[in-house]
Amino acid sequence: MALPNQQTVDYPSFKLVIVGDGGTGKTTFVKRHLTGEFEKKYEPTIGVEVHPLDFFTNCGKIRFYCWDTAGQEKFGGLRDGYYIHGQCAIIMFDVTARLTYKNVPTWHRDLCRVCENIPIVLCGNKVDVKNRQVKAKQVTFHRKKNLQYYEISAKSNYNFEKPFLYLARKLAGDPNLHFVESPALAPPEVQIDIAAQQLHEAELIAAAAQPLPDDDDDAFD
Amino acid sequence: MASSTEPRHEEEKEEEATETTAAEDEDTGAQVAPIVKLQQVAISTGEENEDVLLDLKAKLYRFDREGNLWKERGVGTVKLLKHKESSKVRLVMRQSKTLKICANHLVLPSISMQEHAGNDKSCVWHATDFADGELKEELFCIRFPSVEIMASTGAFRNDTQKGALKLDRPLSINSKPKSSHSSSFSSPSSSCKSKPSVRHNSIGSLLGVPAKDDASGLSL
Repeated sequence: MALPNQQTVDYPSFKLVIVGDGGTGKTTFVKRHLTGEFEKKYEPTIGVEVHPLDFFTNCGKIRFYCWDTAGQEKFGGLRDGYYIHGQCAIIMFDVTARLTYKNVPTWHRDLCRVCENIPIVLCGNKVDVKNRQVKAKQVTFHRKKNLQYYEISAKSNYNFEKPFLYLARKLAGDPNLHFVESPALAPPEVQIDIAAQQLHEAELIAAAAQPLPDDDDDAFD
Repeated sequence: MASSTEPRHEEEKEEEATETTAAEDEDTGAQVAPIVKLQQVAISTGEENEDVLLDLKAKLYRFDREGNLWKERGVGTVKLLKHKESSKVRLVMRQSKTLKICANHLVLPSISMQEHAGNDKSCVWHATDFADGELKEELFCIRFPSVEIMASTGAFRNDTQKGALKLDRPLSINSKPKSSHSSSFSSPSSSCKSKPSVRHNSIGSLLGVPAKDDASGLSL
């Protein structure tokens, strides 16, 4: 589907709508996929932010246009106006905040009014946090409404690929679809002049003195 | 008053451990009609004509110059790959699970590596990176699971004159890495000038090779 301000691509693309209460981690989750970073700071999304997100599969490259919508009511913008022509969706809640799970039915209802019969994934985010308020056992909404459910952590990357993989499989009707290594193109040669190199070295020394964001987790799984 | 601190969370923890695995990967989703028909395609990693010199789990960071801080770039597998014909060596790192590329750059003799000041499992370097399909000036930091693994990489440590990798060689951040040629990936020693077929006893010396053999590609 053609979107304003978004280049169209010659491979399959899908509009993905991401909804859920404010602070549940929608933007952090999207950013994690876009750049790899984990943003701790909370800055509410105003209206919507649309980000193209590509994946490589055994059936070629695909793209999700992620419509990362505002969770906070006061910043809601067009609200369900953003859902129009949505082809798949993620409903996010925070397992450490019970109210965000209680509000899932409302998000689901509003979404389904606009988008009928689209694949939807319910995501319980922040499962890395020790003191959960919503236990896995207590999550039952997806069974009533036939949604897929994943426990995820944008912080630890636990299951972070699963929502996209599930949606891709449903949209293509192929349960065997899987992610594959994207082609690592040969990097072009670059000229490096001495002045630039000295600048880089100075930068590097300053950067090396800055702490890493997380020094605690040494399991890279 | 606060005479005893209750170990309150313990029972909760146990519960969670058993719960999380229960519903895993069970498809509870509705049957929806697919909206595209996709065909299997030939898969190319782009690494077919390269030999793997190094293949390790690691976490990569990139420096955000604006915010003056390190940001995570990906957790996954870092590889040093040497091209079978050109002998050029590059670093490629892929994010685990999505297998997306988070770093992809040539290993040039000009690249100098140094240990991260606050973390002895990490080192930093500058590269002109091509991960996103466009060249970008990046400052990278890579962290290995342990000091031992970091040491074993050799290539990520300081230079080795004879190809013998030494862990005890102190890396000082303050001492300016003056001659960039004498550090990191490449070895300045002409003694390690050799053909790709020659047996090497270290990654450090291996990495010295393309710089010498393929002068055309490494114009400085």
